[in-house]
Amino acid sequence: MRDDRNRWPAPIARRDPMTVGAAQLQEVALTRQTLVSGPSVRTTEAPLIGWPDLVLTDRYALCLRRDQVLVVNGQEDSPGWDATAQRAVSDVTDGYRVFDLTGPSAHDVLQRGAEIELLPRSPSVARQLYGLGCFLYRVGRPDHFRLHVSSAHADAMCGHLLAAMKATSEVLSL
Amino acid sequence: MTARRLPSGGVIDRTQPLTFRFDGRVMCGLKGDTIASALLANGVRIVGRSFKYHRPRGVWGSWVDDPNAIMTIRLGDRELPNVPAATTLLENGMEIRAVNAWPSAKHDVKGGLDLLHRWLGAGFYYKMFMSPDWHLFEPSIRKMAGLGPVNTAVYDDPSDQVNAACDVLVVGGGPAGLLAARLAAERGEDVWLVEDHATLGGTSAQVTAIDGQDPEAWVTAQEAAILAAGGRILRQTTAYGIYDHQMVGLLEKFDFAAAPRRWRLRAGRIVLASGALDRPITFANNDLPGVMSLQGAADFAARYGVLVDRKVVVAARGAPAEHAIALIEQAGARLTRVAPDAPLKAFGYKGAQGIAIGGLRRFADTVLVSGGLTPLVHLWRHAGGKLDWCARRQAFLPGAMPIQMQAIGAANGTYSLHDALEEARAAGTNTPVTRVDTAEEMTPLWPKPNSKGRQWVDFQHDVTLKDVSLAAQENYVSVEHLKRYTTLGMAADQGKTANMAGLAAMAAIQDRPIPEVGTTTFRPPFVPIPIESFHGHYSKQLWHPLKRLPLETAHRALDAALCEYGGWLRPGWYGNGAAQTHIQAEAKQARETVAIFDGSSLGKIAVMGPDAAAFVNFVYYNTITTLQPGRIRYGFMLTEGGIVKDDGVIARLGPEHFLISCSSSHTDSVRLHLEAWRQDGNDPDRIFIHDETQAWATVTVTGPKARGVVETLGLPLDLGREAFPHMSLQTTSWKGQPMRLARVSFTGDLSFEMSVPARHAEALWTSLHDATKAAGGGLLGIEAMSILRAEKGYIMIGKDTDGETMPHDLGFTVPRNKKTAAFIGDRSLHSPVANAADRKQLVGLAVGGDDVIPTGAHVVLTGTRQSQGYVTSSYFSPSLGKPIALAIVAGGTNKMGQDMETWHKDARTSVTICPPCVFDPEGERLNA
Repeated sequence: MRDDRNRWPAPIARRDPMTVGAAQLQEVALTRQTLVSGPSVRTTEAPLIGWPDLVLTDRYALCLRRDQVLVVNGQEDSPGWDATAQRAVSDVTDGYRVFDLTGPSAHDVLQRGAEIELLPRSPSVARQLYGLGCFLYRVGRPDHFRLHVSSAHADAMCGHLLAAMKATSEVLSL
Repeated sequence: MTARRLPSGGVIDRTQPLTFRFDGRVMCGLKGDTIASALLANGVRIVGRSFKYHRPRGVWGSWVDDPNAIMTIRLGDRELPNVPAATTLLENGMEIRAVNAWPSAKHDVKGGLDLLHRWLGAGFYYKMFMSPDWHLFEPSIRKMAGLGPVNTAVYDDPSDQVNAACDVLVVGGGPAGLLAARLAAERGEDVWLVEDHATLGGTSAQVTAIDGQDPEAWVTAQEAAILAAGGRILRQTTAYGIYDHQMVGLLEKFDFAAAPRRWRLRAGRIVLASGALDRPITFANNDLPGVMSLQGAADFAARYGVLVDRKVVVAARGAPAEHAIALIEQAGARLTRVAPDAPLKAFGYKGAQGIAIGGLRRFADTVLVSGGLTPLVHLWRHAGGKLDWCARRQAFLPGAMPIQMQAIGAANGTYSLHDALEEARAAGTNTPVTRVDTAEEMTPLWPKPNSKGRQWVDFQHDVTLKDVSLAAQENYVSVEHLKRYTTLGMAADQGKTANMAGLAAMAAIQDRPIPEVGTTTFRPPFVPIPIESFHGHYSKQLWHPLKRLPLETAHRALDAALCEYGGWLRPGWYGNGAAQTHIQAEAKQARETVAIFDGSSLGKIAVMGPDAAAFVNFVYYNTITTLQPGRIRYGFMLTEGGIVKDDGVIARLGPEHFLISCSSSHTDSVRLHLEAWRQDGNDPDRIFIHDETQAWATVTVTGPKARGVVETLGLPLDLGREAFPHMSLQTTSWKGQPMRLARVSFTGDLSFEMSVPARHAEALWTSLHDATKAAGGGLLGIEAMSILRAEKGYIMIGKDTDGETMPHDLGFTVPRNKKTAAFIGDRSLHSPVANAADRKQLVGLAVGGDDVIPTGAHVVLTGTRQSQGYVTSSYFSPSLGKPIALAIVAGGTNKMGQDMETWHKDARTSVTICPPCVFDPEGERLNA
């Protein structure tokens, strides 16, 4: 097996805010991320966020699919199957790292990773960005995007985002 | 040829002279010139050599249709090969060399190849070099073939790649495109206009007025109106392909050698205003430098202020040709016209000196030809549009279109500016485009098979009319076969100049109408695209990013050799220097004392819900319904074909809560497998699947002293053998955080697997590492772990199994014989194939000698080379002091004790078939 320790730079446990051109990337610490599934979670969990909804509250539920949401900053919940509430619960707080991409160029940066348009609407925030799965939505204002990416691919996602931020800033400087 | 710069006219900037070199000669051009126009302005006649015969080639066309002027260009420290001179803007200081010619295009040492043309016709290579062996000839032919050599330098400025969407994309910034874009933008649509030239206007420079206005002013007004209405205009941008769901590939070029930008634009509707190209006329010696496109010559005059010659012979017909002729005459050329359908023959050495009609010679250094216009329908065909043959225009025109796309102007076969603008008005307002039928009827002007002389159909690849006849003679009559047999229309040409002549020749040879012969398939890209533009910043670690462990920083601090295992970057061993020394020491230490191992990448997939038990029982070969909460069971996941897909352990956390621990590299596919079956044949409202793999980090403590190490954590649990037996699980807490503690082992020794939320992984690792060191133990990488598991005969799916391995081949027969509930793969396990006596089965190999057998070596009957199977895992066991190996061997379980050999690269090693487990077969250490 090939020793690749020097081919891969050490991962960055927590990223400091980075500004390139007119976009800023910042890692966000959330209190809790809870994966909740059940036949009626889309009606019981609120506020339910899809694309391109704006998040306006501290606690919210990202709609991932018909029967699955990611509750952000929710209360601590017992893992497993809750037969009464008909919901399956997993605490995945450490499974996803979360980044905010903000600024006038933020949308341009995202467009370098996938077709990201405000329309058509989608009930789900699940996306493929730069070939990596993520949850993408907007927080508070139109140029504030938030991404949840699996922890194992967080460094790769940051690499893609920084490369795209650089490309976007070079366009602006033309 | 005595081409020269006109004193006025064109879109060039006469105040900015540029200096460049061509094949070593210093020359001057102007800002706005293409390399081709600058070469013409400097009187350069031979710009390159053809691919096969190294015939001299001159500029044919003024834009994408030129197949001849292909250059290697160096500017500063950048060099690019195979740059089309007609579409590349000149820059100061360029060093330009013709490809496929040495020492220069004018004096090419391989020019003598043309003398052998009688023997080098189409298919020559296929026939001549097959015997005795193509590979004997291949190196020298490859050395001779090809155009410009690729520079080995790596330029580290990635191409930008952007996704975008718009309501309307207009391809082509000529008069029709501009008007359509303006009208659409003024209707409030989000409009993009792309033009592959650096300037807008298309053929507007060739007319005196547009809509009663000065052309330049009209173009400026359209541009301003588009921008004012919110439209977007991209210059030097080529729409090179249309893909599914109206996704259009755009390549935006910048300065020479600067990385281009690639757009993936999703357009609501597309207006194709890409114009039309001039068609060559096929006659004897029509490839001589100096024979060029009439429309190209007009464009050189109007756009670049370059008159191709003062004395010109013209062979052309059709209204567009008349317009071009008038323009060239206006520019100062003296024209002699000849009938284009007469038996023409160009004469001259290394360049045309005139044209002969029968015995009559017309002297002129430049012969301008036009066999009619060919609408640029490439993008139309990429999008799946049909083509209709128009006998009046003698051209294929856009027909039915399955997507939102309209063709206007010359691309639609509408060559009159007035009519083109009418079509633009329709397209701009999103109403149907009605093509105005032309009053003019073109008489056919196609190649005449069996006529005298060498007549070129494809200038770049030296395909002649005779080659087309030869292809037909050998029954390559389909245009697709013709193309591949002769190379007609391949590479940069993509049918722009060669296609129509080729298929018309084939039609004539077969005496069939042209539409019946049809065209070849148009495929993207329309023009050559740098491969660099496709990878963009997706290179190095971002090309295929590995998954990273939460403990990677800790591993690096311990000098871990990080290697890729199944898409994860994991510690192979710890320490620098000789890897095997570390690996052997780690394995020995783990057996003798204790070691810790990072198992965080192992899959952790929760299955929950009222039907979870039945579902897990269904997706596993082994019976799971009898598994009690707090207990763990080993099992196989099979495909429908009964093939082992994954193995792992299933823990029951509660009556309706299971945790599947699958192979690290299989986590994603197992999750998808579970999801697929959850939604197919099961009630998805009663089963839910959560992938928790990355939320938890797992550290394994293994070895005789493992219990003592775990006890240092002070967990509120009885870790004793009876209270916490092998294959059981408890949930607890450590330092206020939840912990899942499992007694499960992949080493065959007493082992504890501890999972905590990933952010606490370092604290747990540090505590356990300290305790392990205190107990005389150490670290365990995957390589050493692999030795330990092989000693026990534990398999790795995909390494010790292949695409045919079923569970009974691995010794697990009970569920197949006794499990009554349905499970995936059940039926396939009872097929004749599944019960064949010679199935490859997992065995161990007792190795003769001290050398480790190569993994992959064949297992053969002694003295033979007949493969009975192969070695799947092979190591030196430091605990046993000898090599060990696992193999899958035909009928292996019935061969226990049989002496065989392994064979690898003529080396033979004696082996004896034995059970896979060669260490602690009773499992006393495991259950300690």
